[in-house]
Amino acid sequence: MIGFTLRRLVLLLPVFFVVSLVVFFIIHLVPGDPIDNLMRAGSTPEQRLQIAAKYGLDRSLVEQYVTWMGRLLTGDLGTSIIQGRPVSALIARNLPYSLELGIAALLFSTLTGIAAGVIAASYQGTRVDDSITGFILLGSTVPSFWLGLLLILVFAVWLGWVPVSGARGWSSLILPTIAAGLGGIALVARVTRIAMIETSRQDFVTLLHAKGLPPFIIQLRHVLRHAMVPVVTILSLRIGWVLGGAVTIEYVFARPGLGSLLIRALNQRDYPLVQGCLLMLAMAVIIGALIGDIVQAAMDPRQREARA
Amino acid sequence: MLLDLEMLRISFGAFAPVDQVTLSVDRGEILGIVGESGSGKSLTATAIMGLLPRIGGQVAAGTIRFDGTNLVGLPERQMRRLRGGRIALITQNPMTSLDSMMRIGPQIDQAARLHLGLGRSAARAKSLELMADLRIPDPASVYDLFPHQLSGGMKQRIVIAMALAGDPELLIADEPTTALDVTVQAQIVQILVDLVRQRGLGLILITHDMGVVAQACDRVAVMYCGRVVELAEVDALFAQPRHPYTQALIRCIPRHDMARGTMSAIPGVVPSAAAQPPGCRFNPRCARVADRCRIEIPELRIGVSGNGVACHVAEAA
Repeated sequence: MIGFTLRRLVLLLPVFFVVSLVVFFIIHLVPGDPIDNLMRAGSTPEQRLQIAAKYGLDRSLVEQYVTWMGRLLTGDLGTSIIQGRPVSALIARNLPYSLELGIAALLFSTLTGIAAGVIAASYQGTRVDDSITGFILLGSTVPSFWLGLLLILVFAVWLGWVPVSGARGWSSLILPTIAAGLGGIALVARVTRIAMIETSRQDFVTLLHAKGLPPFIIQLRHVLRHAMVPVVTILSLRIGWVLGGAVTIEYVFARPGLGSLLIRALNQRDYPLVQGCLLMLAMAVIIGALIGDIVQAAMDPRQREARA
Repeated sequence: MLLDLEMLRISFGAFAPVDQVTLSVDRGEILGIVGESGSGKSLTATAIMGLLPRIGGQVAAGTIRFDGTNLVGLPERQMRRLRGGRIALITQNPMTSLDSMMRIGPQIDQAARLHLGLGRSAARAKSLELMADLRIPDPASVYDLFPHQLSGGMKQRIVIAMALAGDPELLIADEPTTALDVTVQAQIVQILVDLVRQRGLGLILITHDMGVVAQACDRVAVMYCGRVVELAEVDALFAQPRHPYTQALIRCIPRHDMARGTMSAIPGVVPSAAAQPPGCRFNPRCARVADRCRIEIPELRIGVSGNGVACHVAEAA
């Protein structure tokens, strides 16, 4: 198990290199540059060159990459061109808000989704199952920003139970969590339900029933454990989404966060900030996948042995 | 009688893939149920276990008497007490019959803890004893293994141990050797026979292997298309098979002294449940078919000997 984890960690090095290449160059595919945003009206071409030189933008892309990568290896993400502050400081200020919302939404959607999936699978073909399946369809098609606006209207404006927007205190986290988590509930519930139903058809489940075990014990102690394998896979893909996927929600609820930081940086062509944010998000995705693999290997005795 | 099935009819919606099944098994007796795939053998077993609703079926008519109690219509709570306790099931494929994510031992313990009220350590002791009885080497270390670490034959022994853990009186083995190597098959059959002789269990041995029937069974029910076509003691069945289908089945057993290229098969295929022929269901494939067979369904008539056949031609003879 430890060997498997170490080997996966070593494999991350080439992945990190490729990711850094993409992250660095992709922003240069977008037309425009940050200098346009810095120059006052009536600036001369000389001033333009001066600014470009100041930020190293006059050198070749390869040279710029090598410099960036060199700094990166010492833990320096560079300085925001527009805001003039270290990228790491900007990320550090926004990251807690993203983590807070992301983790809350992930926990909320995972727990509710698994519960909904288990219930739907246990009452397969009944009205309970139909309602949950209906909700899954609804939840996976309703856009989260629209749901966010609706929630604000009902619970903040009409009922006044929670703040309309902002990120002060736990009560301001409730609506964004629901809005951001709904799609996740639908996804987790759907995967859980199908995996439970598929598992129930296996011989060993018939034999568990033949032992006279109560159905809910069979569902929770045996079937659910098998069904969690695909659920862990999709969850590991969503860990990356936790940090950057809630951009629209951040906008709707006027919350700070990595997503809105990235969007602003993109609009201003703030290269170092864009690269820093993208790198964070990419690392979150990679680490999410890694955690998923490890958890899955720990769950399944066959994989545990094959990968030991 | 330990178990008595009378005129059992199993339905899935409008279909009745099993009909008019009558058979019985006593303590210390091995009843073989033979027939091709789709003859309703496994469904009959599922009905006895009360597990038909799980696959969308139900008992539409007839009775299943276990030790005097009719299991048809028995509340699920009471049925669950019998299942795994007094009646236990051994399934066909040991590769898929164990929970791959759970250690072997606790899977055997379950029935004893549930039905005999044993605690963790008492159940473990019982499981280890059962494993030793079934000649599983080094039970204490096998107890802590996962299923994939065992061979097929060992897994089937574990499945048998699981079935025995609740101290059953009736054991239903649904093709227990089909998925195993030939060398292992004989061992598993011998284990089952020994269990019946030593513990006085009733055993229903479902198989399509006439060799296993001859080796192990006391009595045999031959099924075809959801009906019992012949019920007989094993010696009588092999010495004097009465139903043309039984005769054909016995002819299909390969023997070493047969000339090369003379393997025999029953012509035609088992008709699907949706396309049953009128009259005797075997008539399109029967070598001795008469006009009456195409119109009237023959009923199983059991004589004083306990043997019986469902065939117009055999009865006339």
